[in-house]
Amino acid sequence: MTYTTGMDPKGPIPVSLFFTCLADAFAPGVCDATVEVLERFGATVRVPLSQTCCGQPAFNSGNRKEARAMARKFLLSFPDEGPIVTPSGSCAAMVKHGYPVLFRDEPRMLARARAVGDRIYELSQFLVDVLGVTDPKSDFSGKVTYHDSCHLRRGLGVVSAPRKLLGAIPGVEFVEMEESDRCCGFGGVFSLKYPQISCKMTERKVERILATGASYVTSGDLGCLLNIGGLITRIGYPVKAIHLAEVLAGKSPGRGDAG
Amino acid sequence: MELNANAFGRNAKKALLDKALQEALGRTTGRFVAHRDAAAAAFPEFEATRERASRIKRDVLDHLDTYLARFIEEAEQRGAIVHVARDAAQAREIAARIARDEGITLAVKSKSMASEEVSFNEALQEAGVTVVESDLGEFIIQLAGEAPSHIIAPAVHKTREEISRLFERHLGEPRTDSIPELVGMARRHLREKFLSAGMGVSGGNFLVADTGSVVLVTNEGNGRMGTVLPRVHLAVVGIEKVIPRMADVPTFLRLLPRSASGQTISSYVSIVTGTKRAGDAEGPERVHILLLDCGRSAILEGKYREILKCIRCAACLNVCPVYQSVGGHAYGWVYSGPIGAVLTPLLVGLPEAAALPDASTLCGACADVCPVKIPLPDFLLELRSDAREQGLKTPGEIAAMKGYAGVMKRAGLLEALERIAGVMGQIFTKGKGITWLPYPFSGWTEGRDIPAPAAQPFRKRWKIRRGVTR
Repeated sequence: MTYTTGMDPKGPIPVSLFFTCLADAFAPGVCDATVEVLERFGATVRVPLSQTCCGQPAFNSGNRKEARAMARKFLLSFPDEGPIVTPSGSCAAMVKHGYPVLFRDEPRMLARARAVGDRIYELSQFLVDVLGVTDPKSDFSGKVTYHDSCHLRRGLGVVSAPRKLLGAIPGVEFVEMEESDRCCGFGGVFSLKYPQISCKMTERKVERILATGASYVTSGDLGCLLNIGGLITRIGYPVKAIHLAEVLAGKSPGRGDAG
Repeated sequence: MELNANAFGRNAKKALLDKALQEALGRTTGRFVAHRDAAAAAFPEFEATRERASRIKRDVLDHLDTYLARFIEEAEQRGAIVHVARDAAQAREIAARIARDEGITLAVKSKSMASEEVSFNEALQEAGVTVVESDLGEFIIQLAGEAPSHIIAPAVHKTREEISRLFERHLGEPRTDSIPELVGMARRHLREKFLSAGMGVSGGNFLVADTGSVVLVTNEGNGRMGTVLPRVHLAVVGIEKVIPRMADVPTFLRLLPRSASGQTISSYVSIVTGTKRAGDAEGPERVHILLLDCGRSAILEGKYREILKCIRCAACLNVCPVYQSVGGHAYGWVYSGPIGAVLTPLLVGLPEAAALPDASTLCGACADVCPVKIPLPDFLLELRSDAREQGLKTPGEIAAMKGYAGVMKRAGLLEALERIAGVMGQIFTKGKGITWLPYPFSGWTEGRDIPAPAAQPFRKRWKIRRGVTR
């Protein structure tokens, strides 16, 4: 089967997948879905197998020495030219905005970090802004609401891309929740340091999700989805947290082992 | 004000269980945010004005000594007496001396957050002066013996029932749940004080360098009455509040009320310039301006300089999901919310407030609304890094971070650990979610599940699919 990208690709577009450590371990189905969608629109996906973690938890908790070691490792894992695509706004923002902070006193590394930062895209951003995808060709069906992950929205400025894609899926009834851009309470290490505050924020997020009557809440960051989904399954609410990549891939829910 | 910032975690837990506080917080912050957003949207030049204000403030901080010298010169030429306090102790000493020299026994005070930094009221009380807070919110919490929990709405945590009980106990007023009646009671009580006080104390939103003026932005009129009726006016203001020109005032007046309460302009804007002149109908005979350094020059020298651009609008508090959840008192000092999480450690020392920079998800909502574009999340990150460098992290956290970084150094090691976790996860959860984890992950599973690690992580799947052996 062939799909058009809406552009006129001169050939296959080589893309490096940054699958993220969180999805690798907890939701490999998200990575599969990302590959599937990228290939659907003419990308040849290569997966650098030496990649591990971008170092964000260490950076965000102020442990920059460790973060810097992981950042170096990341930069070595993605030496090639061409776009790096990841199913995480947060990890992309870390590379783009966090690395220049980590290497501000090392001009050579800083230049490298900036160069890699310029190559990195979150999945929906890459599909819409680079490949010009207007119809994700997904057979996903159901009522879906979307949570803006803070780092995708504010860190990368990606607001409309995921909405455009969701809105173009024929089987998806897309409904906005109130306060879609309000933090879900995850905050990485924050959720462990101040779990009660974190949960309080998650409760409000889940209330907003439930108010839409959607069967699915989706987002561009697995961290948010583990957090939101973790509260949903704990209480047993009739809604499922599912990654944007999986909605775009059109995987029927329940298959695979995504959160 | 007494410092209790490192108890943030404990304070926050208490706040989360306080039903009245939760209700008040939800109502007030929601209203402030909605009004602020509407006001910003209705003002097409909002973005450009933010940019201009930020530029002006940056220029001020680059030449603070010059602008302050000019302000002092202009203010003194117009009859004001300017004092500069290096630290809280000196500020208290100066305030007490002014009160004694002026023969003051009763002072009415309008809102001033800076004065809370130095425990100003206590200093005057020790000098034999009765200090009456005249901002309605401050009046209420003074009766309750509490500190403000919000920069512009200090009694945001109090319900009308609690307020009526306070008025009954302290003012002998009958119980009511009518807000206008409560306001009327406070007004009657305060009116007497305004008429008999020897000194009015105010803060200052802006100090205008080229005219020596103190600009006050208020909504209740108490600021104006307190600076006009009493014989003496004492303004207590941080040194960073100076702006270069009177012509800059409109830029900030366009931003401050909109960002604070969503008002196009506050009900009152007072520009106090010098003492009462011959022919003036009213005004203070004596004007003292007490400029507070109290740690600000030290901030100016370092990487957090831009925090001094803050105009105390509290937009970052209102929009912060953490502040919305726990309120201002949890932060354990004068300033709360994102600005407090940054400013408190800088003013009192990071060891005394290292818990605060961690009290954020780094969601960035604060930076979105800051009218002077302070990079608050960047500063929070920077302070967390300082905490590590100053040896303020627990050995447990450092060990965990080292272990985690060690694993992430080698993909092979990570993969091996993932496989073990995957097998264990399947055994213990039978493929369902994990509902209990030990410390330090116990906080997560108190309220949330987490999926079991995948039996086959993605890296492995990919290798198998692509025939990568190893």
